[in-house]
Amino acid sequence: MNVPHRQAWLRLLTAAVALCLLSACTSAVGEQARRRSSGEPVDGGTLRVAALTDLIPASVFGQSSNGGNAVIGLVYDSLVEYPHDSLEARPALATSWKVAKDGRSIHLELRDDVRFHDGKPFTSEDVKFSIRTIADPKWAVQLQRTAAAVTGFDTSDPHAITLTFDRPLSNILDLLDIVPIVDKDTFSQVKAGTGYNGTGAFRFDEWKPNSEISFSRNDDYWGGKPHLDGVDVKIVPDPQAQAAGIRSGQYDLLLGATARDAETFSKDPKYEVLDFEGATQQTYVGFNLKNPDLKDVRLRQAVAFAVDRERILDEVYRGEGIAQNLSWSPGSPAYDEKAAHHYDRDVDKARELVDGLGSVASLPLQYIAGDPTAEAVAQIVQANLDDVGITVDLEPVEYAQMYQRLVGADYDGLWIFGHTYAQYTPATLPVSAYPFNAEHNASNFLSPGYAAHADQAWAAAAPDGPKAKRAYAGLNADMVDNVWLTDLVTFWPRLVTTSAIHDIDYTKRTELIARDAWKDQ
Amino acid sequence: MTTSRQLTRPKALAGLGLVGFVLLLGLVGPLLAPYGPLEQIEGANLVGPSPSHWLGTDEVNRDVLSRTLSGIRLDLLVVFVAVPVGAAIGVLTGLLTAWWNVADVLTQRIFDVVLAFPTLIFAIALSAFIGPGVWTIAIVIVALEIPVFGRLVRTSVRTVREMPYVEAAQVAGAGPLWVLRRHVLPNSLEPLTVQLAVSMSVAVFIEAAMSFLGIGVQAPNPSLGSLIKDGTTLMYDAPFLALGPLALVLVLVLGLLLISQSLSEAHRD
Repeated sequence: MNVPHRQAWLRLLTAAVALCLLSACTSAVGEQARRRSSGEPVDGGTLRVAALTDLIPASVFGQSSNGGNAVIGLVYDSLVEYPHDSLEARPALATSWKVAKDGRSIHLELRDDVRFHDGKPFTSEDVKFSIRTIADPKWAVQLQRTAAAVTGFDTSDPHAITLTFDRPLSNILDLLDIVPIVDKDTFSQVKAGTGYNGTGAFRFDEWKPNSEISFSRNDDYWGGKPHLDGVDVKIVPDPQAQAAGIRSGQYDLLLGATARDAETFSKDPKYEVLDFEGATQQTYVGFNLKNPDLKDVRLRQAVAFAVDRERILDEVYRGEGIAQNLSWSPGSPAYDEKAAHHYDRDVDKARELVDGLGSVASLPLQYIAGDPTAEAVAQIVQANLDDVGITVDLEPVEYAQMYQRLVGADYDGLWIFGHTYAQYTPATLPVSAYPFNAEHNASNFLSPGYAAHADQAWAAAAPDGPKAKRAYAGLNADMVDNVWLTDLVTFWPRLVTTSAIHDIDYTKRTELIARDAWKDQ
Repeated sequence: MTTSRQLTRPKALAGLGLVGFVLLLGLVGPLLAPYGPLEQIEGANLVGPSPSHWLGTDEVNRDVLSRTLSGIRLDLLVVFVAVPVGAAIGVLTGLLTAWWNVADVLTQRIFDVVLAFPTLIFAIALSAFIGPGVWTIAIVIVALEIPVFGRLVRTSVRTVREMPYVEAAQVAGAGPLWVLRRHVLPNSLEPLTVQLAVSMSVAVFIEAAMSFLGIGVQAPNPSLGSLIKDGTTLMYDAPFLALGPLALVLVLVLGLLLISQSLSEAHRD
């Protein structure tokens, strides 16, 4: 009988080669030593970017994917811009603005020399359309509630606009910093991913799903012609492949380096690691209160006391961040050191709380599949909870599904994810961020007291005035007492470039800006 | 030549030695392991190989040697349970359907469909429906082995049933099931044992590849494939992490292939 022996060897050989390629996809290509710049910007060259997650057109304004953030940062402008380290807005498409004394309207003067990429002039009608788009729930944008509070638009002057609100909005400048100004006439292309017509420094050329997004220089950019010829964003969902790619000269910039990779690159003079200071993000454990076991606040408090935040910060985030259970950074007017460390690790207290519950059922803990950082955090949390008698089963979930569950508030039990918006005016977090939104959040936590504190913070005329601070104190107490989520680490993303790349910038939402960037030739 | 005699050839002995070594490690290793496979050791973050941690520690402070020894068990489960189960179902299906033409045609077309998918594509598609995990690996291996063994035994049935002694048995009143059990199955055993050894070595690769791609064993549980995956994510910072599991996969596959090759050579002789 003819036994398929040769074929079996061939199959094995093929499988072995495939496994080796998968496991050792580091290139043997030598790393090119790149000369450092003399300091004078030079024109030309294409910035080659590796991104972890692709653009999702249907949620381009809501979801913080690397691809989506590249489109927003490169193609669009906003009305104002926050610097990295403060909330003092600077002019962008708006040259000046004035908030009414009653806090219920704002008047903005707009630039009159701006054109969209298709040549159409930018006007106040585009501002109205952009804010209304963000206010449309179908885009599932986190600032939707704030945008929806803008009820009146005076567009009688094409180069000025007055926005009227249904209540005083302490975070109106956050909205104006975040909302990308889109062109209403070509907007139908946005959801299909076929066209993004903005006023930014780069024109959108093409999107190849799960492959790349390409952009070319906007020679007519109102802020001056960019130095780079273009930007190519490749979707590389594996951080290890990104790291190998930049080492072999395939990429100039990584948007998905892990903290450990960034630490390694920071020691190598051929690379630069930029800290996205001011664009802080948080990793947290969330609890879905629809899960019967998690309805009991004692279990949630036990989890909050059990997790070892310092270890997660040191070992996973390589010490680049702050281990605390609340989101505000020390510079925020809402920061309260005592509240931020209320749940510092206390295993005895956690065990005591668990003992008081009697038996605790095993709970699912969901996290982003294929994300080494999320997986490491999840495993540490699992071990921490096991120490105090809480059993959790790890369930990796695809990123897009994690996001859908966040928006739909239908996680099975606990989950680990990231959030942002604590770097903005404090009202923005409880009013607009999915995990915190007082009207509808991912944990299904609803409380009249919390909603009232969120409204008070939202309406406070001065975000750091006494009225606002009282509201923040109330919010902090709500968060500490009710623990519908517990932050683990506040950190800032780190971006890796080769040393041939200069003057890369970013927004407070970690959107890539390359209008002044240049590349050694 | 009997199977026991075939296994005394030097090549077979070497194969048995290698497989036996891994088997022994899998069976007694976890009892000797210095730490639990899930135990996170305080302060031992990504420590290199040392007398305390022979294969170092991973990103969440677990002893890689202890995890590797524990991970072997999953591969042994795959090799010695999933493959035989798939083989048994495949042999039974092949035997029973090959005798009757309509059933044979139908079964062969189903086998064609299953075999048309590359292994990993099939595994990815299946894991999309039932989720990743040990059971997914087992189901993939069983599903892939059924047509392989079914085809093999079918060829035997088609050949043997034309033999004069089978015709004589039928004339004497023997039914198909008796003929299959008495004449066909014994004549198919030698190629089946060779295929079994080959399939076992392929199964090790399937487990490793599936876990590497994240559709096999899930964190925090170890398998040789998931340990290789963990090692490669930290290849620049800790190149030592994947070495132990890679070496064991190599030893196990090599051992099984030597056994199968030896059986095949003996069969040809």
